[in-house]
Amino acid sequence: MITVCGHELKLGFKTLLIWSLSVGIMGLLCILMYTSMEGEMADMAESFSKLGAFSDAFGMSTLSIATLGGFFATEVGTVHGLGSAMFAAITAAVILSKEEDGHTGEFLYSLPISRSSAVTGKALSVLINLVAFTIICGAFYVIGFVALGEDVLWKELLLFLVRMLLMNVEIAALALLLSACSQRNRMGMGLGLALIFYAYDVVGRAVPDAKDYLFIGPLSYANASEIFAGKEAPVAAFAVAAVVIAVAVAATYRVYLKKDLAS
Amino acid sequence: MADVIRIENLTKSYGKKRGVTDITLTVKEGEIFGFIGPNGAGKSTTIRSMLGFLNFDKGAITILGKDSVKEHVGILKEVGYMPSEALFYPTMKVSEVIKFAADARGLDCREEAEMLCERLQLDTGKRIKELSLGNRKKVSIVCAMQHKPKLFVFDEPSSGLDPLMQSTFFELIKEYVKKGATCFLSTHVLSEVSRYCDRAAIMREGRLIKVDMVDNLTESTAKSVKVTADGMHEEYMYNGDINELVKKLSERKLQNLYIEEPSLEDMFMHFYEGKEEVR
Repeated sequence: MITVCGHELKLGFKTLLIWSLSVGIMGLLCILMYTSMEGEMADMAESFSKLGAFSDAFGMSTLSIATLGGFFATEVGTVHGLGSAMFAAITAAVILSKEEDGHTGEFLYSLPISRSSAVTGKALSVLINLVAFTIICGAFYVIGFVALGEDVLWKELLLFLVRMLLMNVEIAALALLLSACSQRNRMGMGLGLALIFYAYDVVGRAVPDAKDYLFIGPLSYANASEIFAGKEAPVAAFAVAAVVIAVAVAATYRVYLKKDLAS
Repeated sequence: MADVIRIENLTKSYGKKRGVTDITLTVKEGEIFGFIGPNGAGKSTTIRSMLGFLNFDKGAITILGKDSVKEHVGILKEVGYMPSEALFYPTMKVSEVIKFAADARGLDCREEAEMLCERLQLDTGKRIKELSLGNRKKVSIVCAMQHKPKLFVFDEPSSGLDPLMQSTFFELIKEYVKKGATCFLSTHVLSEVSRYCDRAAIMREGRLIKVDMVDNLTESTAKSVKVTADGMHEEYMYNGDINELVKKLSERKLQNLYIEEPSLEDMFMHFYEGKEEVR
């Protein structure tokens, strides 16, 4: 299991670097843009907060983008939310199916590694990558706050990163199941999964009648504007996340342990 | 000698598609066992069932005294498998792939791997994506042999290897077998079977149609007859009274005639084409 995990971490290192540096640097640049826009931000914040459904969808009615916290939540929250969800989805969506798609399964599974150990090792590597991704991006955001000479909003920032990580794990668990069920590379479907959840959350916040069902989507408890505004996430959202993760992981083992491996 | 492989009534289907039906065979310790059959005959399905890649429908497989389903990982520790495709992770270096295979077994195989790479003239510094099929096959051979397994399972091992490397490969097999290993060799190349194997099994359309000593497969009362007479060429197997054959042939105007012991190729074609009887 450890050998498989190490092997996957080595193979996925470049992807981790590319995605974490891209999202982290984009977030950093967003933070650095705050000073140059600070003057105009007060008027903009006033206007943006009155855009009705649009303001609701992007959290601008919850929090003023004229403050650094509000600006971070609105701008970086979107970049990190979307970027990390896509990274989680593509990493997990190929982790099992790539062995059959690339015809490397016969090599890997001819080694004395049980399929359950392989799934555990591979799932663990996805989790480690997600944690590393969060830490690298988080470091860039802290650098951004420090570079502006502002106090780091540690409590909100850490809560935001932890909730985002949980959201990433939930999406990765579903993508892992997708990977177990498939013999082909499902990176596109993984990306689609992340984008569907993002769209569900945006639309859910914009449509008044849909707000009651927001908790079903994984982005509901990871909304940056609500976290930085000090709003509590609904308990039902965490319960749904826990059930989705547990069921998806259990189903992954069940499907993958019973399937015939393609040559 | 103990049975290293024991397959009993193995049946595997892919939905409505045929896989293998009722395969029963044993491979004894120290044997080089040939497994012959045309494409789609069920050779790979049998091998993939043995190694746990496929869940078979019926039957039982015991390898090195262990149940292939319950003690799957224990079996793989003692087996060196070389798949027909020899595909690895493209961005990894050859040395990394070989080390990964050894690490997964929890063994330090550096000495054996070094010897194998030297004999196979394999450059371990190259990346997999830079290798030809032949060189990928060499990587596969090293991964299958470096841990000195008790049983080798080879699926079309020599395709892609040049004749010199084929010879080195079979020399290596003979050396390991001399030290007590057993070899299960699935191949299309009948000359390899007749040259290196002790026994062989012939598969056709998912069924095992013959298992015997290689010598017995070719040593038959049947004769291979190749005749050119009356302007026509005919090739067939003859299993009757040789005097009758000569009498019949003498009635024709012969241009050319060969009556000889059948080769393994002749026997294989005979079984493959499903001829129930010879003339």
